[in-house]
Amino acid sequence: MRGNTNRRRAVITGIGAVTPLGPDVKSTWEALKEGRSGVGPVTLFDASTFPSRIAAEVTDESFKKYLPDVEHYSQAGRNTFFGIAAAMMAAGEAGLDHAVKDPRRFGIYFASGEGIADFRNLTTIVQNNWHGNGVEMPALLTQGARVLNPLRELEQEPNMPAGHLAAIFNAQGPNLNTLTACAASSQAIGEATEIIRRGDADIMLSGGAHSMIHPLGMGGFCLLNALSTQNEEPTKASRPFDRKRDGFVLGEGGGAVILEELEFAKSRGAHIHAEVLGYGSTCDAFRITDMHPEGRGGIASMRAALEDAGVSPEDVDYINAHGTSTLVNDRIETLSIKKFFKENAYETPVSSTKSMTGHLIAAAGVAEIIACIMTIQDGVIPPTINYENPDPDCDLDYVPNQAREAKVDVVLSNSFGFGGQNVCLVVKKFSK
Amino acid sequence: MKIAGEVKDFSIRDFLENRKSLKVMARDIQLAVAGAKLAVDDAAVEENPIDRTRFGVSLGAGLISSDVDELALAVIRSVDESGEFSMKIFGEEGLRNLFPLWLLKYLPNMLACHISIIHDAQGPNNTITAGDTSGIQAIGEASRIIQRGDADIMLAGAAESKVHPLTIVRQHLLGNLSERSDEPKKASRPFEKNRDGLVLAEGAGVVVLEEISHAEERGAKIYGEVVGFGSSSSACAPNKADADGQGLARSIKAACADSGLNDGKIDYILAHGLSCPLSDVAETRAIKEALGERAKQIPISAIKSMTGHCGAASGAIEVIAAALALKNSRIPPTINYEENDPECDLDYVPNEAREFAPRAVLVNSFGFGGQNSSLVLRKLK
Repeated sequence: MRGNTNRRRAVITGIGAVTPLGPDVKSTWEALKEGRSGVGPVTLFDASTFPSRIAAEVTDESFKKYLPDVEHYSQAGRNTFFGIAAAMMAAGEAGLDHAVKDPRRFGIYFASGEGIADFRNLTTIVQNNWHGNGVEMPALLTQGARVLNPLRELEQEPNMPAGHLAAIFNAQGPNLNTLTACAASSQAIGEATEIIRRGDADIMLSGGAHSMIHPLGMGGFCLLNALSTQNEEPTKASRPFDRKRDGFVLGEGGGAVILEELEFAKSRGAHIHAEVLGYGSTCDAFRITDMHPEGRGGIASMRAALEDAGVSPEDVDYINAHGTSTLVNDRIETLSIKKFFKENAYETPVSSTKSMTGHLIAAAGVAEIIACIMTIQDGVIPPTINYENPDPDCDLDYVPNQAREAKVDVVLSNSFGFGGQNVCLVVKKFSK
Repeated sequence: MKIAGEVKDFSIRDFLENRKSLKVMARDIQLAVAGAKLAVDDAAVEENPIDRTRFGVSLGAGLISSDVDELALAVIRSVDESGEFSMKIFGEEGLRNLFPLWLLKYLPNMLACHISIIHDAQGPNNTITAGDTSGIQAIGEASRIIQRGDADIMLAGAAESKVHPLTIVRQHLLGNLSERSDEPKKASRPFEKNRDGLVLAEGAGVVVLEEISHAEERGAKIYGEVVGFGSSSSACAPNKADADGQGLARSIKAACADSGLNDGKIDYILAHGLSCPLSDVAETRAIKEALGERAKQIPISAIKSMTGHCGAASGAIEVIAAALALKNSRIPPTINYEENDPECDLDYVPNEAREFAPRAVLVNSFGFGGQNSSLVLRKLK
């Protein structure tokens, strides 16, 4: 039941992250408070001739020290490494080693993107078997079977990180992966919360991991004209809600949260970061390529999350926006907030941490929830950086350029996926 | 690796009013869209006005590989003077050989998005990418959404085409495929002694799930009730098999417990039955572990003997087979069952369909990645 006050409650007892801003939560949060951008020229491959050649890459590899038993997933992509490292940090912080009494009641609901295709070998087998106006398929298959690495191919399946995580943590309970584009890891956290509420598990590891900074990922987004081409000043390219925004900046990374049933967490004396109070999932059901012009799906999703949380718009102290820095998203998200929050819209600070992290796609939601948790704990709202030119269509308080001290108890986090899948989460400072 | 279970005589145009969206639909999406249309028509969803915001979609999907010929042109146009692929040329020129919306054709969440648009389903929406268990998990999760009151109607299921060159190479490399290319129809032989691997296939399975009073009020026909859902992980390195079937046994037990049906009520099983040497033994052990002595009395069908392995879609197609068994009081066989395997010693309904009226059906699926899931369907009294 929506907003049922007698139901089991899910709280967050551990957080971990690997982001373009740093190899852990602490360094990421420091950068967010400072308003530092993680965007730079692409170094993972030669993108020098791509229309967009900037990205927010994870450059500090020290997160790898967290990776256990790498031999089991040595052929995995960057997404898997980010996800496992983030999960290790979250589990370590929650003291999970001593918490799990029945592994069957410990599950995983992750949001990993697909792994990275073996582009080099793919181009080789295509080139070698080209016959003028098509590929010679039997020959391509034969050569493919010779040059491709079986484990590397298997690791591209999006369910693999959830499988590795289950093995690492001996989590024998429910095991799922969702991939709803940019909304994925918010959706994973929302659904993991529901699994705890309905009693199918006491502990859930959730979050997500993704890297699309590869030739086909960047290339695909370039073709869609979705990426910023402000290549000359990378740190200024992601500028959500600013009039001169021209697209998002692709990021990569992973984040994880440990969710526990409240009484379970209390009985073991766990530190509680915050409570996941509300979850809303809807679909625009409008067009594959465009958001609904009146923000129908986004509004419905905010409403569902707030109803589920049992809070009203005036109770929301801060909104972490989807804020991608595309022309359309930021305009329609602003419109949606105004239509739903009415007079409260102008009183509520709204910021987009994507101005600094870039867009982590499937991992974006969890990175933003972690930012929300830190906001609640530290009483500091991270800014929207690169906000220089007001846009008449975007006229809310975006916490421009400077972090702001504020007492924040209730946060709304928006995630809107391309294709129209929308997810909103309400997270609240924990109180008995 | 020359054989597969292909969907023949299929044209998406028969299922689509707005053909403009066709060019952004990979085969997986086309199959899903067709499956959803057939389900919506079968349930007569549109005969009465419904609240679109309480109409949701929960779809399972696999990794969608891009069309090789489409990609090939972009690669070939990126070759430099020395005949080598050049990333510089690819970024500048090669890329432009792909059409602008190319990326959208291959995103796994697009199955659910297209279906939502076509059927104006504005409610809860999810895409489950949990490997071969995606279909059952998507239907199980959809039943939870209805149970918690977030929707009245859910379109749930999955689609995948495993008949793709790169997927075939991938599965071949992993050593999973049957090599019985000279006898295609006999290649998929779950639980049978001479099985040697799976046969890749493609398909979609979509069901309309509806809150019971909502369905009764509009006089909908009801195939059966989803009464139990269980999900688990084998929690062993994903590229290692769960040889004892312990993980699957846990999801069967969880689904049975969730169903609230007393011991002895489950009287029919739709197996995952992949036709792989180790996995069929593991599944047999899991069924015995979870259901005990009774396992020997329960008929078990592996329809992959006929359909082949449709990846993410397979579990959803098996749920449909379960629903039809409940409705028609007749259960499908496991074909190609010729020689007993002493390690697979249950009743697999060999070769001939059987007149049998199940009351409660267990549907199993498990996959590479260590995910397991089970669903229990019951005949409505």
